[in-house]
Amino acid sequence: MTGAGIVVSVAIGAGLLLWVVNLIRRDRLYVGYGVIFVIGTLAALVVLLVPALLAAITRASDALLAMPALSIVPLALFTFLMVYVFAQITVLSNRVMRLTQELAIRNAREDGKLEPRALEPRP
Amino acid sequence: MPTASAQRSRSVVAIPAYNEAATIRGVVDRVRADLPDCDVLVVNDGSHDDTAAALAGSGAVVADHLCNLGYGRAIQTAVLYATRGGYDRLITLDADGQHDPAQVRPLLAEFDSGRWDLLIGSRYVATRGYDGVPLGRRIGMQFFSSVVGLVAQHRIYDTTSGLKIIGRQTFVALTDWSFIDFHAEALVYLMRLGYRVGEFPITVAERRHGQSMYSTLSHIKYPLKTLLMVVLSMVQASMMRKRVS
Repeated sequence: MTGAGIVVSVAIGAGLLLWVVNLIRRDRLYVGYGVIFVIGTLAALVVLLVPALLAAITRASDALLAMPALSIVPLALFTFLMVYVFAQITVLSNRVMRLTQELAIRNAREDGKLEPRALEPRP
Repeated sequence: MPTASAQRSRSVVAIPAYNEAATIRGVVDRVRADLPDCDVLVVNDGSHDDTAAALAGSGAVVADHLCNLGYGRAIQTAVLYATRGGYDRLITLDADGQHDPAQVRPLLAEFDSGRWDLLIGSRYVATRGYDGVPLGRRIGMQFFSSVVGLVAQHRIYDTTSGLKIIGRQTFVALTDWSFIDFHAEALVYLMRLGYRVGEFPITVAERRHGQSMYSTLSHIKYPLKTLLMVVLSMVQASMMRKRVS
């Protein structure tokens, strides 16, 4: 990979990392999903920034798959799309969680008010 | 609207339960016997065994999650319930019978000294060691205890204890952001916001029924998720402080 290619890839990786971390912080991406993207992105950044590691992985991938260098573009797009999809799942999941909690609290409070056991003297 | 008994006591004992049919009734009975001035709330976190049936007529108020949301969300439900019920203190206990409700009394006395906003019933603060804990778990506990000490400047020896007394002043902070299990990440968040978190020694019994909420896979996922959340807790607490000031 050329120097410019490495710089662009690192910039994309850093952007992805910041986006994912910010989504988790804002509760828009479940940390269980987010941690996979964080670890994957960090691993990719380490490979990009350690020349010997990058050379070894390039040799290995060339021998196995002979991928064109441009294949990194759809891979990056796919990763961003995956983060977006998981973020949407998290948003929906959070709404269901909130609804479940509200129902539970509402029923519990009704239960507490109506049940005579809540008013009876304790042992 | 708080219940009549809540107005009297201002304390609620919350017991998150997931498939704890074998033990939950005994735990509730012991809590009602040992802490007669506290209300009892069981957060039934989508159990698919007979936990709900075991609670019938127990005297506990039951908050039923229609599906399993996890320990952190069950605790958050309890905090929301305590907030809206006007309670001053939320006491959390495990549903597996490992905590002796009689030990809550000295914990409450320490909490009422006014030195703490959140007080943890700690298995390890007395010895400051983890003797008898399986190796993998011991490494994890030492690691997160050290991490909390490093980033919050106050070491907490038992970051995973289920026995806590949570003061009303922390309720808003604990519900305006999401936590995984209310462990190291929640403690760091509170401490970085300036709340006083302490430990008080307790002993726990062996678990006799059911399974731990930590599966084999979670022993890999838990430290990664918690570590990431600890870092984010610091960022979030810092942003909250800036927003307030």
